[in-house]
Amino acid sequence: MICPLITKSGAHTDLLLDYTAGRLDDDERIRLERHMEECPACASFRMEQAAVWEALDLWEPAPVSMDFNRRLWQRIESAVATPWYRSLAESLRFANWKPLIPLTAAVLVIAAGFVFDHPARRTAVSGMTIREADQVEQTLDDIDLLHQLDAVVLPASGGSKTM
Amino acid sequence: MTAKLLMVQGVNTIGSPAPALRTSEDRDAQLMLRVRDGDEQSFGVLLEKHRNPVIHFVFRMVQDRAVAEELSQEVFLRVYRSRGTYEPTAKFTTWLFRIATHLALNWLRDARNERSHQRLDTPRNSEKDGELPVREISDRTPSVEQHMVYQTRLQEVRDAIGLLPEKQRAAVLMHKYEEMEYSQIASVLECSESAVKSLLFRAYETLRARLAHMVTGAAR
Repeated sequence: MICPLITKSGAHTDLLLDYTAGRLDDDERIRLERHMEECPACASFRMEQAAVWEALDLWEPAPVSMDFNRRLWQRIESAVATPWYRSLAESLRFANWKPLIPLTAAVLVIAAGFVFDHPARRTAVSGMTIREADQVEQTLDDIDLLHQLDAVVLPASGGSKTM
Repeated sequence: MTAKLLMVQGVNTIGSPAPALRTSEDRDAQLMLRVRDGDEQSFGVLLEKHRNPVIHFVFRMVQDRAVAEELSQEVFLRVYRSRGTYEPTAKFTTWLFRIATHLALNWLRDARNERSHQRLDTPRNSEKDGELPVREISDRTPSVEQHMVYQTRLQEVRDAIGLLPEKQRAAVLMHKYEEMEYSQIASVLECSESAVKSLLFRAYETLRARLAHMVTGAAR
């Protein structure tokens, strides 16, 4: 039989974990020990957990380098003396940029689309064309008018010569 | 069984931090406030106090001594850089380990793809010179055989922890080696307390399975 104290959610298993870690106060410890006397599942859990705990005790970390503090103070001093933009770049060195790459690409594509297909840009281009067309039309009208004037003035001057 | 469960649930309170711990945390916050006001000596005191726990935690996370020291330096550098905006809203150690965990998880994530081909049971060079025989088996010099048995067991433990999912690994290391409470682990990992209990349950379940042969030898 599985004791409700040992659940997948770990909701109550913390009692057994704390027991192994020696973090229960005397009352809690005594109550749990009484429970375990009658509950083989919890007793077995406790024994296995205690052995895991003991195995984990084997792993002590490597000693820290003697010059750790000196190197850190050097970094701090250079960080204080460094301009703000370099400090920013340094602090971003450990940031995880990979998820930002597709996001940045998407933003660039959208920005490019906005710049090249902006309505204001379209209006500006078409506005220039209209102005130019007006100017050309005006010029043609002027030339046409000059031709008409020439046509009127030349026969008149020719007539006077023949007389 | 239900009555027993209720009885046990009734004592299921971790309680508030011990007065000594609370005083210690207040002292850390006070020191950090002094650092904020320009007192570098206080930063030195904080560094001396928390340097080893941070380096050891990061070392057990990344299992590489050089990387652990590099990342730990970055942790303290970030603390120093943030001194101007420091406000004691959370425990100092919670803040410190949140930075450490964040950096370690980022490093593991980046290294995962690059080193996916590398077998975890291969000893790393940086540890050969960095890791000393950690626990004396007896007061006398251990025999070669004892030393080999010890090294084999140690490697099994390291592999078992190294193969845990990263968040489970962080939770176990903080629970086992840093002796943190569930609420503090939850604050560091930015999840709920029940999520931490669930992480720990699954992690220890995996460890019990992976270290079963050591368990049977040691527990009986």
